[in-house]
Amino acid sequence: MPPAPDPPINVKLLLIGNSSVGKSSLLLRFSDEQWLPEDEASATIGVDFRVHKMDVKGKKVKLSIWDTAGQERFRTITSSYYRGAQGIILVYDVSSRETFDALPRWFSELETYVSESVVKIIVGNKVDKEYSRQVPTAEAEKFAERMGSLFVEASAKTAVGVRETFRNVVEHIIDTPELWGTASPAEGKRGAKTKTATPASGRGSGGTMPGNIDLGAQEQAADGGCSC
Amino acid sequence: MAVDVPYAADAEVSLSFDELQVLRTQYEREVAQSHVTTQTKFNFAWGLVKSPVREHQVEGVRILQDIYRSEPARRRECLYYIALGYYKMGNYEDAKNFNGLLLDKEPANLQAQSLGTLIEQGVSREGYIGMALAGGAAAIGTLLVATLVRRAARK
Repeated sequence: MPPAPDPPINVKLLLIGNSSVGKSSLLLRFSDEQWLPEDEASATIGVDFRVHKMDVKGKKVKLSIWDTAGQERFRTITSSYYRGAQGIILVYDVSSRETFDALPRWFSELETYVSESVVKIIVGNKVDKEYSRQVPTAEAEKFAERMGSLFVEASAKTAVGVRETFRNVVEHIIDTPELWGTASPAEGKRGAKTKTATPASGRGSGGTMPGNIDLGAQEQAADGGCSC
Repeated sequence: MAVDVPYAADAEVSLSFDELQVLRTQYEREVAQSHVTTQTKFNFAWGLVKSPVREHQVEGVRILQDIYRSEPARRRECLYYIALGYYKMGNYEDAKNFNGLLLDKEPANLQAQSLGTLIEQGVSREGYIGMALAGGAAAIGTLLVATLVRRAARK
């Protein structure tokens, strides 16, 4: 065979964070250079994803970015998407203290699903609302450092920091070979059973496709509860 | 920057047997206790709709329709997964109807938009097969008209 181009590195990213912090908007801005005004944007139902190709450090990377619903009632089904993720983008809204204060809970959830080497980035979104900021940059920065996470402030509305967020995560993933050596996520349809170095903390008996529901998720279902 | 997969990821990815089993067990346990929470029902139906097995999809859609009737607060989620279920069964007409209901309420909903695109692709795929069978320019004309009418009707 002639010098075949290197197959792209498959990278699976997951967007998590409270409801309406702008996870889908960040994704829309990144992949389509678009932004929907608040009254047109709709809450994500369950889970969504997009595939995006980019060149990072001279390597072809095929990103599959999973966008999860932030609403409590989807917790039990969206937690099943953590498996195989190499990068986690935790989003909060700088104009909403509550969404920042929720981050530790998101961290503890992801600790149970992904390995420690997974690249994490905290994104303070909506910096265009500087006038109603409730979370100082320095405070968030300090928190990110304590959690061993990258940090950036961004605005899906004005596009500030959006590309940097994704590029930053991918660069760190590429610098962490144990994350991508065998990974081939988001090839679920083709049944790619290859799995990342996900520890899956002792429940590896299930399937390995992305999108698997976690068998441990049911305990959560009990306390996560149904608000209906 | 290429986007080669539309939204509606749930159309592609299914659960393993064991995982669906967890959802089923929880559902059946609550049925046995004669109190099934909406969350349990929804989770099980979600798993069923994602399954590649037709009977699962049918059962999932049935449960979702049940939730749709009894839980108005869950309607938008139900509409989406009912439409997805019908799409996976190849019942594009019902898929479009239910997805259309969601789009009526949320015209900018990206998930519904992309599911709509998938449904259209399914319809035209089916259309091409029909065309090949029938043959002739008349069939092409009919299909074009039908597509236009459908487009118009969707708006």
